[in-house]
Amino acid sequence: MVDKKNNLKFKTKNVSVFYGSKQAINKISLDIEEKQITALIGPSGCGKSTFLRCLNRMNDVISNCSVNGKILLDGNNIYSDEIDPVLLRAKVGMVFQKPNPFPKSIFENIAYGPRIHGIGNNRAELTDLVHHSLEQAGLIDEVKDRLDDIATGLSGGQQQRICIARAIAVNPDVILMDEPCSALDPIATAKIEELMSSLSKSYTIIIVTHSMQQAGRVSQKTAFFHMGDLIEYGETPKIFTQPDQQKTQDYITGRFG
Amino acid sequence: MSFSTLLLLIIAFSLCSFFFSSSSAFKKIKSATSRPSALPKHYGQYSLAWTLFPAFLLLIVFTIIGPIYVDNFFKQQIALTEASYDKAKIELILAMIKNISNGSISSDEPKILKLADEYSNYLSKIYLFRTLSVLLLSSILGIIISSNINILKNSRVKVETFYRFLFFVSAVIAIFTTLGIIASLLYESLRFFALYPFFDFLFGLHWAPNIAIRSDQVAAQGSFGMLPVLLGTILVALIAMIVALPIGLFSAIYLAEFASKRVRDIIKPTLEVLAGIPTVVYGYFAALTAAPFIRKIGMTLGLDVSSESALAAGAVMGIMIIPFISSLSDDIINSVPQSLRDGSLGLGATKAETTIKVVLPAAFPGLVGAFLLAVSRAIGETMIVVMAAGLSANLTINPLETVTTVTVQIVSLLTGDTEFDDIKTLSAFGLGLALFAFTLILNVIALVVSRRLSEQYD
Repeated sequence: MVDKKNNLKFKTKNVSVFYGSKQAINKISLDIEEKQITALIGPSGCGKSTFLRCLNRMNDVISNCSVNGKILLDGNNIYSDEIDPVLLRAKVGMVFQKPNPFPKSIFENIAYGPRIHGIGNNRAELTDLVHHSLEQAGLIDEVKDRLDDIATGLSGGQQQRICIARAIAVNPDVILMDEPCSALDPIATAKIEELMSSLSKSYTIIIVTHSMQQAGRVSQKTAFFHMGDLIEYGETPKIFTQPDQQKTQDYITGRFG
Repeated sequence: MSFSTLLLLIIAFSLCSFFFSSSSAFKKIKSATSRPSALPKHYGQYSLAWTLFPAFLLLIVFTIIGPIYVDNFFKQQIALTEASYDKAKIELILAMIKNISNGSISSDEPKILKLADEYSNYLSKIYLFRTLSVLLLSSILGIIISSNINILKNSRVKVETFYRFLFFVSAVIAIFTTLGIIASLLYESLRFFALYPFFDFLFGLHWAPNIAIRSDQVAAQGSFGMLPVLLGTILVALIAMIVALPIGLFSAIYLAEFASKRVRDIIKPTLEVLAGIPTVVYGYFAALTAAPFIRKIGMTLGLDVSSESALAAGAVMGIMIIPFISSLSDDIINSVPQSLRDGSLGLGATKAETTIKVVLPAAFPGLVGAFLLAVSRAIGETMIVVMAAGLSANLTINPLETVTTVTVQIVSLLTGDTEFDDIKTLSAFGLGLALFAFTLILNVIALVVSRRLSEQYD
């Protein structure tokens, strides 16, 4: 494996997270490559979502949550005092498990982020940006005639792609996806997976998933979490065909989890 | 036997039938070979319901209808004895008979004494009949049902039907009470509008009821144009909302979105203490503290502030409504799904941006409803304005002047010595009807607005 052409986007070292006195993840060290899809897999409660939420400091929203260790984004520690979590989240966008478009029009949903960050000063620029984001999210043909319709009236899969388009619109470096397909049917899931592959040309994507098939289909690298520990991390084909650890072997063959 | 004794007796009967039926069902189920269709307690509840409720209904019917029937009978009797009596005279004599028969007053007129005697005889006969029929119905039904327990019949279904009926009746009672209140209000108002033209009342610019203390006193006929009173009401309510809406809403936003759990645990109960203060206390706070304070400030600014200003009453009313608005809004804001906040925060919005651009718009329909409920409350509030707003009906929108409100006028028209067929007294019902219509319209608007908006946002 002399595949060193990719730069590292995230470097994490000994990251532990506590909810009150309960430890959710234990000393995770994981490096994530730029413009690749990295999948985090593992049984429920293994800490993969918690780890994902550390990467854009969404855990700050939870009041009794504390994070130890170092997380470097492009070499800067995102938990240092100089980093404003609000700016960090513009750089590291997030798509959630349940599609959560705002109860506003499709246009306003996409324009929400750019407006907040002062991107697109006039209506024409903003319209361009909205169209471009919808195009990247593969949604433009379905919604271009009804941008003023309420976004919550779309189907689940369309709503989730609205959320992806909304994240793209603020021009992030990284997109975090927390089980983005778990509330969707297989056809909508296939569309989102296709979209992820095309997006990975311009964005670094980290996806948490319950579905091992999905991890196998879309990701280049896979990390297996179990009980708050990182068990194994490597090239996806290797994890799924000849893992080093017995636990990984047991999980991917369906012996537990 | 009195009403309460009878009620206690049939309750005792039904408890007996409950225990008897459930134990008999228990024995039968024990010795039965097939699986019973209900539990012993269901058979017990079934016979309890049959022992208690038909007899209870009969008791209610007798208690309400009985005296009315007797009264009507005696009205006919009185009319027969003296053909020249008119309706009012008959009522008067009937009242006299009643009072004599229960011993409150005495009389030396033999005719009336005789009637009173007959009256009490008649009434006690009715009551005896009531006692017998209620006890008979209760005991017969109780014995029949509890001695014929058939564990193959599913009494669980019947008990369920009975519960549904009970809840339905409770709902209907609330509706009928409301209808009754509206009917009595309408009836009295129609009497007023028979004496005073409806449109003069609705659009008149002059309110001067000039209440005479005695009926023979010379006083002006009075003028009943409700606009100044209505305008006063709206002015005070508007001031109240200007005070209460921003403070209530912003404190709700702080509590729901920004406060840590510890701060919330302190502020929320403190705000709710405000809601527990009796309105009469707010009233004298307005009259004795707020009004002089506003007057003093006005004087230093060179403004002429009357000692009973709309501003003082409205501002204190606003303080009273703050907890109402803040606690309703807090619940509504909390019910906005966390996923929307996450979505906005995940895009790099700050907490305030998220609150203003995502949470409040999503909560908006509910907030409109809460706001209009608060307005209805401000309009109907009485005690504060009685003590702090004054009595003179000025057609003004200057908050520093004395105004009066609909509720204040109703109170002053109906307290003290009043005659109930006088136009001045009846005008209070006209005002009451106007107030009711006004708050009803507001509530309907609240309902329609919040329903339409929530359709849009779902």
